[in-house]
Amino acid sequence: MRILLVEDDLSLACGLVSALGREGFVVNHVTRGNDALAATRAEPHDIVVLDLGLPDMDGLEVLGALRDRGDHTPVLLLTARGEAGDKVVGLDRGADDYLAKPFDMTELAARLRVFARRLSTAASSQVVVGPVVLDSAAHAVTVDGESLSLPRREYMLLKALMESAGKVLTRSALENRLYSWGEEVASNALEVHIHHLRRKLPEGFIRTVRGIGYSIAP
Amino acid sequence: MTSIRSSLVAMLVAAFTLVSFLTALLGYRASMEKADELLDAQLHYAATILRATVPVTAERSPVPTEGLAFQVWRDGALLLRSEGLEPGPFTALEPGYAYANFSGFRWRTLAMPAVDDTWFLVAERADLRYTLAERVVMESVLPLLTWLPVAAIAIWVLVGWGLKPLRVLSEQINRKASDDLSPLDFPDPPGELAPVIASTNALLARLSSALQREKHFASHAAHELRTPISGLKVHLHNLAGDLEGEHPSLGHIRADLDRMQHLVEQVLDLARTQPELMPARFARLDLHALAERVTAALWPDFVEAGLSLSLTGERAPIRGDEGMLETLLRNLLDNARKYAGGGEVEVSVGPTTDGVQLRVTDQGPGIAAADRQRVFQRFYRAGAGGAGSASGAGLGLAIVLQIVQLHGARIELGEAAPGRGLSVMVEFPGEGAQ
Repeated sequence: MRILLVEDDLSLACGLVSALGREGFVVNHVTRGNDALAATRAEPHDIVVLDLGLPDMDGLEVLGALRDRGDHTPVLLLTARGEAGDKVVGLDRGADDYLAKPFDMTELAARLRVFARRLSTAASSQVVVGPVVLDSAAHAVTVDGESLSLPRREYMLLKALMESAGKVLTRSALENRLYSWGEEVASNALEVHIHHLRRKLPEGFIRTVRGIGYSIAP
Repeated sequence: MTSIRSSLVAMLVAAFTLVSFLTALLGYRASMEKADELLDAQLHYAATILRATVPVTAERSPVPTEGLAFQVWRDGALLLRSEGLEPGPFTALEPGYAYANFSGFRWRTLAMPAVDDTWFLVAERADLRYTLAERVVMESVLPLLTWLPVAAIAIWVLVGWGLKPLRVLSEQINRKASDDLSPLDFPDPPGELAPVIASTNALLARLSSALQREKHFASHAAHELRTPISGLKVHLHNLAGDLEGEHPSLGHIRADLDRMQHLVEQVLDLARTQPELMPARFARLDLHALAERVTAALWPDFVEAGLSLSLTGERAPIRGDEGMLETLLRNLLDNARKYAGGGEVEVSVGPTTDGVQLRVTDQGPGIAAADRQRVFQRFYRAGAGGAGSASGAGLGLAIVLQIVQLHGARIELGEAAPGRGLSVMVEFPGEGAQ
């Protein structure tokens, strides 16, 4: 997995190169926006980790130039500005993910692994949480090795929750995943699906977070 | 509040009146003297005519007159006289003017001697003289008095006109938005206002550049501090990977680094939410939806701390700055997580009769009533130094207070249950109220 790291702070870059190397990534490091554009043109990279504050041009300009010439390499933005607006602008301009400084190395590595998984489709299409295994490539769910057949919406619900295991997904976030815009949603539709799912899954697998949403323990 | 216009008009009208009266008084006295002279000359003339035209040879019957009296004496005998006089000369037989009282009035008299010990005495009633003179004088003075109100109105209007630049200036300053530090636009100011405008503009410029520096500090400090902290964290991660076994210092460095990171973020939040520095970007939003997002994001931390977190309530539309409100909620929830110790932390959001109420309650030790004001001070930590006190810089509630004030909201600390727990209530004005 080749990563292009665009970061002008040398100490941070040097630490990242060694930390990511340890995680099994091959890291090329440049410090300037123009060098980043040249490097991506010269040889393909799997992921670009892009700092927003660069000495010669803004990171968002680098991102824009990259997308303008049809380069769709996944881009993870790093920024020290930490303004909510920056995040929205960055994602609007075609960034794939966003991490605010100072970040935890484990968090960065986890995000990069998600990219890596997406790139190598086959092996990583399985999500395992306790006794439940969800294979998104085969659209199959097994509990303790026994196959479980789920209607489409229940499957989507379980997939969303398992992919965010350990976090809580809000009711509105789940409804947005299940239903398209403008589709009529009964106010208790989500509860009904959860109710059906719970009957098919181990006791206490899906946890209700009162007033907030639902969660699956990792 | 005194008005320059009113006091100027009052002073000018007073001065004008005083001068008018003084002028009138002096004019009166001068006119009276002049009138006296004229009337005396007339009296003299009358006597002269009497002397020239009356051939007095023997006593004659009295002549009726009005306001005028005369006698002609020769050798002590009254030859000719006007009607209604007492016997005897009405004034001393000395040549010249004098005053005398007879026939019930005061008179101005003139005695004029002639040959053969003949005296021509003429007199004019003094009161009539005065009345006449006074009328002449008053007619020249009165217009001055009757026109005084007109003068006052003219002064009022003129003073108002003269103060117009001042009024324009004060309106311009008044109209300025609280965060508008652009210089006053006052082309061609009058000499008196020029220094005021110049020094006000200089003050605005200094203020504006000071605020600019602070703003730059806030955003640059963010970048300049976060990057080295990132570097430290990455290097610490690498170091921990290389060290065999867990060195005791690693845990301390990690904790210190986390504390420093937290402090940096709080100082930046404090700067970012300062109303003079950062104009809030207000928009319509649902506080309940925001609370759902924030509680969902923080939920893993609560689970890790052995706390449960729940949200109740319904749609609660307000106008606010989303980023700041998120910071507010995060700070309140971070405090609850740090100090609650255990049990349940409950967030409730919902509309009230005249706004929207947010309430965060925990089952921790709460805050003593005496400390409830002080916890909003910067760097104040409730129960600092006490056993089990959590780490933190004591900026969280100061930031919360700034955000609350910026939204025209009200914050109140209380007990969640009698004698237990902390309840933080924030009341936002309704959408229409802002």
